[in-house]
Amino acid sequence: MAFELLIVGLNHQSAPIEVRERLAFAEAEVIPALSQLKQAAPSVAEAALLSTCNRVELLAVAPESEQAAQELRDFLTLDRRVNAGAFESALYHLEGREAVRHLFRVGASLDSMVLGEPQILGQLKLAYTQAVQAGTLGMILHRTFHRAFSVAKRVRKGTLIGHGAVSVSSAAVGLAREIFDTLKDKTVMLLGAGQMAELTARQLAKLGVQSLFIVNRTFERAATLARELGGTAVTFDNYKPYLKIADVLIGSAATARPLLEPDDIEPILRERRYRPMFLIDLGVPRNFHERLSALENVYLYDIDDLGRAVANSRAERAREAEKAEAFVAEEVEGFWRWLNGLELVPTIKDIRSHIDRLREGEFQRHRAWLATLQPDERNHIESLTRGLANKILHQVTTELKRANGLVDGVYAAEIARRLLGSDLTAKQAEPDDSEDFFDEDPGRRPLVRGSRR
Amino acid sequence: MSTLWLAPALVLYVLAVFLFVSDMVQRQTRLNGYALIALGAGAISHTMDLITRGVQAGNMPVGNFAQSLSFLAWIIALASLVMIVRFKMPAIGAFTTPAVVMALGAAYVMMPNEAHRLPSTLRSAWLPIHVTLAFFGEALLMLAASVSLVYLVHDSRLKAKRSLGMIGGKLPSLEKLDRINYRLLGWGFVLLSLAMVTGAIWAANAWGRFWSWEPIECWTLLTWLLYAGLLESRLAAGWRGRRAATLTIALFTILVGSYLGVSLVYPGKHGGSFG
Repeated sequence: MAFELLIVGLNHQSAPIEVRERLAFAEAEVIPALSQLKQAAPSVAEAALLSTCNRVELLAVAPESEQAAQELRDFLTLDRRVNAGAFESALYHLEGREAVRHLFRVGASLDSMVLGEPQILGQLKLAYTQAVQAGTLGMILHRTFHRAFSVAKRVRKGTLIGHGAVSVSSAAVGLAREIFDTLKDKTVMLLGAGQMAELTARQLAKLGVQSLFIVNRTFERAATLARELGGTAVTFDNYKPYLKIADVLIGSAATARPLLEPDDIEPILRERRYRPMFLIDLGVPRNFHERLSALENVYLYDIDDLGRAVANSRAERAREAEKAEAFVAEEVEGFWRWLNGLELVPTIKDIRSHIDRLREGEFQRHRAWLATLQPDERNHIESLTRGLANKILHQVTTELKRANGLVDGVYAAEIARRLLGSDLTAKQAEPDDSEDFFDEDPGRRPLVRGSRR
Repeated sequence: MSTLWLAPALVLYVLAVFLFVSDMVQRQTRLNGYALIALGAGAISHTMDLITRGVQAGNMPVGNFAQSLSFLAWIIALASLVMIVRFKMPAIGAFTTPAVVMALGAAYVMMPNEAHRLPSTLRSAWLPIHVTLAFFGEALLMLAASVSLVYLVHDSRLKAKRSLGMIGGKLPSLEKLDRINYRLLGWGFVLLSLAMVTGAIWAANAWGRFWSWEPIECWTLLTWLLYAGLLESRLAAGWRGRRAATLTIALFTILVGSYLGVSLVYPGKHGGSFG
């Protein structure tokens, strides 16, 4: 094969939080990292980086998958300044159809810690947008991402996988209701305004909380969110005095060391007269020291705990997940057909049969007139059109063969298919609704899009 | 003396225990309705037994240790019923009904056959008042201990991060349990105080002195002081949650210990040997 789609990464199943937090990329780091990757991994033609609390994955397209995988591994080691030994055993390396299947499963939230949780799709879209901005996306990843989005949409609509309280945030809300009888007289404080923290805060606010404090390093973000949710924004240097009135504390700040330790909380507890505190640590690295859990009337859940707490709901959704897996398998096959169609031989074959069909069609259209002709005149027209078709095909074939073996070859094949009207995906029955996801994004139109009908 | 009502009451209570516990342990079942019916039916049967005995004896049926136990079980059963309905927390039934069964089971085994008539010196209007107040107070403190036990179970599940498992969703919130615990403690304490006052008045009427330094009186005074201390620590230092629950259970253990221990080992007037 002239190119290979591959994924190198680790997730919550292969690596514990201690490893993931060392490899995780903050949102702002992704685009620079991708630019860095372009230099660090010369054999990689296309790349994207998906870094969430639950996974760090590099998606790439390269002619030589072994070499590319090595480059990607080295890049992670170098860029994250982590010893390869610390994470290598947790790393998975998926290629081709397995890589496609993996990405589709990730997008459909089938590979999430909490099966069916909705955040991953947004994170995947972000990874896509970031790769577009970094300029590391090419046709194949464009297409793979868009397909992954529409698979996710299909799964969400076609199954009950998104029903019930199985997301991390709703698990947190559920826990809050096990600790507190009502939230109407409680104060919620966000330490860092990460996406998951925001979602949790939204859900809590919907239940009605007495007050909401939002602390964020970027104060504007805190202020915006505070305005929207009816809370109060607090600057990052200034939040400690507010801790004593916080009943629910949600941490999602980017930090290298825990922001709060037992020594910070113990005096606060006394001041609070031991009213319970619910600490939700959504940060990776963790925001709250794990020893806080030992304090009386303090309930600390980190992102792994929340994931575990909803593991039971997972079983109940296994049935729905099976349905979703069937969708994914189907979509992988369809996508795989397209991807393989980018190979030289099938491309030439497809283009030839397509032109033959066109010729056939024209003959059919003019059969009444052709019938009035002499047999030798008909033969002459026949050989004239065949000659024309062969001339066109010869040119295309020569160019494609020249491009073959280079990564560019697959793009040439795709372009040839599109120009000559034998686009594979255009023939697929289901609509490509991936543009729904990117209405707001000017960079959404990929360089080459195959599926406009 | 035996009535036809006691055995059915005991059987119904056992059934209630079984239903409450299975309801709590199994996720999919909705047994608490039946459990409540069993408990209610048991309480009705139990009430009939007490009435029959009271009529036969001509006084409140608390003349001996077995009858007192039976009366205490009845009060706990009633209070559990009220609490389950009022606070909509069937989970508490799984913790209180076993106590009902244990108390009534013991009473059933020990119940003497002859009707127990109190000496005439003690038959006064103060008897039902004192005994009812004391037993209601103790029942509320028992419920407070049950609620505290539920609290500790729930708390340790939340701490162990296994809360959303089997029974997590069926337990009331910690805040609610803590609040109910506080209220039960408060009311139990008030009733216990009133019981001591009325007991003293009754004693003054019957024997001419308010306080006779009986072991049960001393122990009750001691537990009363400890409960006062517990309430004080809540109010002043803000002790709540796990610590308050643990202390509630510890104090109730002392209360039961004094009740059982003193009655069985050193029976004074409160143990049934009135004189």
